[in-house]
Amino acid sequence: MWWKILSVFLIVYTLIAGTLVPLKPGVTYVFPESARSGEQVVLQLHGYNSFYTKAPANEIRTWLQFDDAHAIKGDNVRVLNDTTLEARFAIPTELPNAVASVMLNAIIDHPNDGVSLLPSAIEVAKDTIASAAAWQANAISELHVKKDFSFPYRNVIYESIRNTYFHVPMWFVLMFLFIASAWYSVQFLRYSNPAQAATLDASKGQSLIDFDRKAAAYAEAGLLFGLLGLITGMLWAHYAWGAAWSNDIKQLMTAVALLIYLAYFILRRSFDEPEKGARLAAVYNIFAFASLVPLLYIVPRMFASLHPGATGNPAFGSEDLDNTMRMVFYPAIIGWSLFGFWLAQLRFRYQRILDRATGLD
Amino acid sequence: MLLTLLRKEILLEFRQRYAISGIVLYVFSMVFVVYAASIKVQPQVWNVLFWLIVLFASINAVVKSFVQESGARQLYYYQLADPAMLLLAKIIYNTLLLLVLSLLAFGTYSVVAGNPVKDVPLFALILLLGSMGFSIAFTFIASIAAKANNSATLMAILSFPVIMPILLTLVRLSAIALRLIQDTSYQRDIWNLLAIDAILVTLTFVLFPFVWRD
Repeated sequence: MWWKILSVFLIVYTLIAGTLVPLKPGVTYVFPESARSGEQVVLQLHGYNSFYTKAPANEIRTWLQFDDAHAIKGDNVRVLNDTTLEARFAIPTELPNAVASVMLNAIIDHPNDGVSLLPSAIEVAKDTIASAAAWQANAISELHVKKDFSFPYRNVIYESIRNTYFHVPMWFVLMFLFIASAWYSVQFLRYSNPAQAATLDASKGQSLIDFDRKAAAYAEAGLLFGLLGLITGMLWAHYAWGAAWSNDIKQLMTAVALLIYLAYFILRRSFDEPEKGARLAAVYNIFAFASLVPLLYIVPRMFASLHPGATGNPAFGSEDLDNTMRMVFYPAIIGWSLFGFWLAQLRFRYQRILDRATGLD
Repeated sequence: MLLTLLRKEILLEFRQRYAISGIVLYVFSMVFVVYAASIKVQPQVWNVLFWLIVLFASINAVVKSFVQESGARQLYYYQLADPAMLLLAKIIYNTLLLLVLSLLAFGTYSVVAGNPVKDVPLFALILLLGSMGFSIAFTFIASIAAKANNSATLMAILSFPVIMPILLTLVRLSAIALRLIQDTSYQRDIWNLLAIDAILVTLTFVLFPFVWRD
């Protein structure tokens, strides 16, 4: 009982924290987006979720950064409003590298908001190279780190970072439920010979047919979470990748994995004798589970993927989470998993009542 | 014992020659249908179509494994020999059959659509590995599907998702043999394939006792 309450509590927590906790400030774009070396440029920096007016303008520092050793510092910082800054940059006459143009990152350091960054914010063009000294006198240091409960700001995904708590846990739950389903199929086969079946304790509610019902119920719940994972993933892909379905290897393999369980349900129902259907379905469930694991964890590693970690490691990288996100992400996994098991249990009980009512038990 | 059973499978096939002739004809027809549908075949397309032909030919070749003999006679076999040995004999026989079929498909396909294979030893190894993987998965699924009435449909829907990891690894490996992609560490994929085969064949032996009894 306690774990059902816990699951509801954790899911409510995930929903509230996952949707309401603000993102850290970020930089969405700068204007102008290109400049030439040797010119004085007044740059407008547009922030997101930022509160620039909460600190005096002279305490806000800005840089245009090329790499760890090369940056130029802005002066004459003016705060136009909470989300707009203006700063003047004297772009050196030479570029830090022997190329025709460089892309610079925009960095804003604010006493309250902390540091925010926009990669490749502005392009500076130039055709000659000489000394790079003007780039090296502006070390970026003593940055402010915003210490509050907020999720990281990431370009490209922006607010959709919250989907981490709804998309990723679905795959954990799916795997847990399919493992449980395979386990009950193993139990069914273990007790399927008459000698073993006699050891089942009917007073404790153990019965052979229940193992089959449980295997099916857990597979159904797993299928539901697989669909939810696909849908949340397609929503996310729509914003982050530009298309809901892009034939990414993980999308394809998940669809195939769900086909396994649809086939399992059809096999289970295609025999006249329920016992025979239950036995062969249990066999298929275990056999199919053995190919589910390479399908979801080995094959995607052999192909290019749009998922974080991309080629070689489609798993969720540890660098994709910060500590604030972990405080929601791990409870989300536990909450959704318990909820999934609860759902499967309800489905199992409903099926048992249904079977008893129709005289199949 | 195993050899006797294997010999029985081969003998059976040669006595009912229409079945194997049917499958060979199936491969030829498919190659020509595919060729008629796509006159100029690029190497990428060649690779995918080739494996599709092999996949469908394999399913059709294996599906009859457990239905060509009557249920009563099979029960008699299970009393005479260890059921696991019987299954192993069928898996080995089907591996050989599928290897012959895929070589045949490769031969005809090369004649009509050209042969883009650059690394022939690797490709031959892939055909062998493919026949093994297909044979293990399909033979076992055929034993399950044979118990149901609509076994042809069941065979397809049960085996397609299960064969997917093997099929995708094969397509990737053969793309390497066709020099469509560069990958010097393809040995890892071969080991993956062997590992999947090993897991499936182990499970097959653990689970078969629950399948053959009625």
